[in-house]
Amino acid sequence: MSSLPSRATTVIVGGGIQGLMLAFCLAERGSTDTVVLDAGYWQGGASGRNGTMVRGGFASQEWTRFFGRSLELWVGLSKRLGENVMFTRRGYAILAESEAMDGLLDTMTATHRLCGVQSRRLAASQIADILPHADHTRIRGALYFDQGGIAPHHAVMKGLRKACIARGVRLFYDTPVTGFEKSNGRMAAVLCGETRIEADVTVICCGAQNTRVAALAGLELNGEAHRIEALATEPMRPVIGPGIALPERFTYLHQTARGEIVGGSEVPGETPRESLANTVPIMAAFARHLVEMFPCLADLRILRHWTGMLHVTSDHAPMMGPHPDLADLWVSGGWMYGIAGAPAAGDMLAQAIVTGVIDARMAPFAVDRFRRGALIVEGSTVNV
Amino acid sequence: MKRLAHATQRAGTFLFDGRTVPFHLGDTPAAALHAQAIRTLARSRKFHRPRGLSGSFVAGHLCGVDGSPHVRLDRLAAAQGMRVTTENVWPCGAFDLLGSARLLPRRWLRAGFEHSPLMPSGTARFEPWERFMRFMAGEAPVHAGNRRAIPQGRRMTSDVVVVGGGPAGREAANAAAAQGRSVALVTRGHVAGAKAAAWGAVLPALHDGVTVLTAHDACGLYDRGRHLLCAPHDAASSATIVAAGEVILATGRRSAPPLVAGADLPGVMDAETALTLAHRHAVAPGERVAVVGNGMEDTLAARLERLGVTVVACQPVERLERIVGWSAVSGIDAGGHIACDCVVHAGPWRSDRRLAFMAGADGDLRVLGGPLPAMVRLAGAAQEADEPVGHGAALDRRALACPCMDVTVDELLDLIAAGETHVEVLKRLTGCGMGPCQGIPCWDNLAHIVAHATGREPSGIGHPTYRPPGAGLTLAQAAGLQDLVPLS
Ligand SMILES: Cc1cc2nc3c(=O)[nH]c(=O)nc-3n(C[C@H](O)[C@H](O)[C@H](O)COP(=O)(O)OP(=O)(O)OC[C@H]3O[C@@H](n4cnc5c(N)ncnc54)[C@H](O)[C@@H]3O)c2cc1C
Repeated sequence: MSSLPSRATTVIVGGGIQGLMLAFCLAERGSTDTVVLDAGYWQGGASGRNGTMVRGGFASQEWTRFFGRSLELWVGLSKRLGENVMFTRRGYAILAESEAMDGLLDTMTATHRLCGVQSRRLAASQIADILPHADHTRIRGALYFDQGGIAPHHAVMKGLRKACIARGVRLFYDTPVTGFEKSNGRMAAVLCGETRIEADVTVICCGAQNTRVAALAGLELNGEAHRIEALATEPMRPVIGPGIALPERFTYLHQTARGEIVGGSEVPGETPRESLANTVPIMAAFARHLVEMFPCLADLRILRHWTGMLHVTSDHAPMMGPHPDLADLWVSGGWMYGIAGAPAAGDMLAQAIVTGVIDARMAPFAVDRFRRGALIVEGSTVNV
Repeated sequence: MKRLAHATQRAGTFLFDGRTVPFHLGDTPAAALHAQAIRTLARSRKFHRPRGLSGSFVAGHLCGVDGSPHVRLDRLAAAQGMRVTTENVWPCGAFDLLGSARLLPRRWLRAGFEHSPLMPSGTARFEPWERFMRFMAGEAPVHAGNRRAIPQGRRMTSDVVVVGGGPAGREAANAAAAQGRSVALVTRGHVAGAKAAAWGAVLPALHDGVTVLTAHDACGLYDRGRHLLCAPHDAASSATIVAAGEVILATGRRSAPPLVAGADLPGVMDAETALTLAHRHAVAPGERVAVVGNGMEDTLAARLERLGVTVVACQPVERLERIVGWSAVSGIDAGGHIACDCVVHAGPWRSDRRLAFMAGADGDLRVLGGPLPAMVRLAGAAQEADEPVGHGAALDRRALACPCMDVTVDELLDLIAAGETHVEVLKRLTGCGMGPCQGIPCWDNLAHIVAHATGREPSGIGHPTYRPPGAGLTLAQAAGLQDLVPLS
């Protein structure tokens, strides 16, 4: 590994999907003098521990416009990178079990139409076609995204890493940022222990560590670290085609190309804390939801169970853009759907950094919205 | 393979891929199949290489049984009329066309097909390929009619819980019980101390006060030792959470398979598996058995011979260059060629560190083991140092580091040469250790290969995160654990 440089046009702190996608999009726009610094190992953050599900439509217009654009960018990403990210439009179904949720799905469909994102309500016979192994007595309705699907994180992260390196981006893992240097009201340099790296632009995308890393620069950032857990079963021949969200059960799942069922549940009431240790109640909850919804999976064994950490903001929406209190510092954080959102975030942030133009679809997610009281109301997320 | 003199009487028959197989009283399906010289029980993930009863690579022990997927044939009582079917085959086990995958150049099938040059890139071109890949990768078919009521889990409290029914586990359990403390002992064996008995050891009786959970896997340790998850091998039974004041891990050591070409072939097995076949089931592990080891090979050979097994060679493991065979073992190269149909390894001996790791495992950027919490301790052989992974003078690039996922030494060495030396990264690039064994013994091989290629000490390399429950329990059993452990 080469040693750290003493300056770079852009220093990106955090080499998860957000950091790498941004580095790639900057390179695409001709800005290749980028250094990415990451405290852990490649894929050690949430970007290597997630459910890999991608959808374009949510309940709010803000989310739908942004994630709808991101979904468009997922298609074609392999070509841009020159690497196979294995994105596949296997579909994405949100299942409603109660009348209230079914009603919400109607409202969502209307929002999607307004924002130009494709989605449709499924009739019972269509649900049976798409999910032949589900317990149909439990399902009252479904909202389906034909274009939604799966972006396997191992392939995405591998493609991004190779594409970044091929374009001259310098990646350093196991290299924690330990401090920042401010001068003349701007972010001037990033410190890794003894090493100082001067930068024109610094971007923080440290996932769950965002608030802690911002604090190294004496800055406040909305939100807190939040843990969520996921599980993978032994592989089966294809049983479940699309990605599935069960909002009333705080559960999501899909079947990977390797045949494993991967997903997770949240159990409301957990005290927020920073820990990657797994817990029995969450394993039990996920297993129960899965077996109730897909009874034929009862005897399938659980291979592994792991925990990932997220940065969750007070309105649960991501934050993207310049930091309001310090020039030349940017943030991409608050990601609960940071896989789905990565292509749009990378593209729009790169555009903003290089040209100064903030895309209208990114603008509502500005970092200073909490201060302005401009929170985003979104009612359809599974996490939290 | 022949039945040995102490065989029990025939008890019935079951079906294996439609073929009728007789079994004796107390047989597992694995033992009964072995007695009929049926040694290929499964196929590997990518190359569809034959896999059998090894004791080391769990994927070789898995079959569909009466519609349930991935059942371990070595942990189940054979029953009259039971239907056992090979998985990961097409169209069927007797005639697996996918077996020709073996003939493809290995480079094409690296990292689970997924990053192979065969794979078309670009969303529209990738999607049809993905459908093919999903079919190829998923091993077990689905039985839509399969349903099972959720077995309501149990919570057990005791002053002490001991994992392992061997000499150290018994001693610890008896000592605690003698002090009047309540003790639970968890063992994988069908009886406590089955392994020691197979070696011919006579163990002290267990104190009456000890509650024994037999045929259970202790597959997860949570909340810094406060909750031990124990899953019964029988999928119909409920899992148990043991909440104890003290956890004693007396999990002993196992023989690690040699890291040589052919070590994945049916007919290669660890000492425990061979002894269980010979002692408990009275089935010869092979007609002509070669024993390799790390000092224990003579003892094991003598024990096998005492049980009526024919041993044709006995060698230190560092002389073993490779194991030869196409669909099963046909010989070994160890100095010269020796014809045999079975290789049993007795060492190098290594402990299973999973529970000890899980007890202290935590972190924010990475899960690290950390020191054992005060309430958890090791006892007996589990405390002893691990012996180095065994192979001949040179490391053979053709050997499989992770036979369940078909990860070769070659693939790992190429990545290491390209600068990838972090075990977590190597795991993610190759899938090494992501099969049903969940890293045992593949991550020992991984660390050994990294050390070998970089000149570092194996003990300083570390291993990827051991994650519970390692195929220990079913979804239905896990579902039955709801409300037994408080939310943290
Ligand atoms: C179980 C689970 C399931 C999920 N399912 C989905 C899903 O289905 N769909 C979806 O879209 N999203 C999903 N997510 C969310 C998604 O994974 C995240 O939003 C996304 O990965 C965030 O990417 P990131 O780059 O912001 O953060 P991360 O991937 O966490 O990267 C942050 C990086 O910053 C580094 N870092 C931390 N501190 C420092 C420091 N001081 N110096 C340098 N580097 C530092 C870390 O090492 C880390 O690599 C899921 C997440 C989890 C945990």
